[in-house]
Amino acid sequence: MRIYRLIILLSFALQGYHFSVAAQELESFLEDQMKETTDFTSATFKSTRILNGHSNELTKEGQLDFRISHRFGRINEGAYEFFGLDQAHIHLGLEYGIKDWVMVGIGRGTFEKTVDVFTKFSLLRQSTGVRNMPVSVTFMSGIYVNGLRWSDPERENYFRHRLSFVQQLMVTRKFSPGFSLQLTPSYLHRNFVETAADPNDIFALGAGSRLKLGKRVSLNAEYFYLFIPDVETLSTPIYNPLSLGIDIETGGHVFQIILTNSVGMTENAFLGHTTGRWLDGDIHIGFNISRVFQIKK
Amino acid sequence: MEKLMLVLIAVVVTAGCSWDDEETFYPELQICDTLDVSFAMDVVPIMAMNCYSCHSNANAPEFTSGFALEDHADVSASSIRIVGAINHNDGFLAMPRGGAGKLDTCSINTIEAWVNSGSPDN
Repeated sequence: MRIYRLIILLSFALQGYHFSVAAQELESFLEDQMKETTDFTSATFKSTRILNGHSNELTKEGQLDFRISHRFGRINEGAYEFFGLDQAHIHLGLEYGIKDWVMVGIGRGTFEKTVDVFTKFSLLRQSTGVRNMPVSVTFMSGIYVNGLRWSDPERENYFRHRLSFVQQLMVTRKFSPGFSLQLTPSYLHRNFVETAADPNDIFALGAGSRLKLGKRVSLNAEYFYLFIPDVETLSTPIYNPLSLGIDIETGGHVFQIILTNSVGMTENAFLGHTTGRWLDGDIHIGFNISRVFQIKK
Repeated sequence: MEKLMLVLIAVVVTAGCSWDDEETFYPELQICDTLDVSFAMDVVPIMAMNCYSCHSNANAPEFTSGFALEDHADVSASSIRIVGAINHNDGFLAMPRGGAGKLDTCSINTIEAWVNSGSPDN
């Protein structure tokens, strides 16, 4: 009897050992599987723009984004001007994703009748897993062509004087599903300015954030600090652009309602020509509408 | 590598830069002093350059039915007409003629400043 008991006990013990080894093997196998994948962060922002400026987001490969933006006049113009709504500045844009990591865009804006072209590259993507990257890094380069008639057609005018250029680096981190933050070092170069007191080169540091309020709604804020020693010495003083807005996502549309002290919707305009101040009530109501079409499967 | 190439292309594309400002680039158009405008020193040189091919004392009888703009008295008497003509205002014969276009802004401002100060013989 004793021998039988011993055999039974031994067989249970061996089975237990066997199960324990199998569980450990499964666990380590799963761990290996987990380690072999990289989980890329997505939807840091809902649109390719935070409000005025670029976000780290790109139009996906084969997608065409048709963007319509409006900025109205200043709220402090009062009831006669319907708090600015009687005047509208418009920007229309077509933007296309060549690959998931590179997109191009062309647009035309009311401000200085400007045509703009840009390209944006994703250099690094925030990720966890095998490849652990704490931030996303995206680069944007834009060229802006002033389309106004020459102020003096009689003099010898040069096409290059219509051009300005912007380079931006978007360093972005999605801290949680509900909160994203972006820092945007920016460089604006203008080939031609009004007076010797106006800088051809303007450096700026932007900060933008997105706070998710609901499944389809988020609160966005964006600010650019311009590194200009004394704005009062410029022929026209310019101020730091600050924008607040709400993103509403509805199917293929992203709708952004904006309050901003900048009437310009392109980088050269809001970095180089923001003449309004929030504290003086120089605030513009505006909106961006983005509609994405799948062109290539 | 492909990404780096595209970034380099973007940098090259933006290399056609200049660092100009209107004030320095077109200095002759920028210095426009309309304080204490002198008839002899400021107005007559503009007239000589732009008007006397027809409106000098010598040419006026032949080209303009005698409408000369050389002497102070003649210019002063026609100052309103001159301002209307050089600004191409409605109701005035736009001058200069012959497809030369308007005078430059500084010349127009100088003549207007002189007329506004009472067309003095200074």
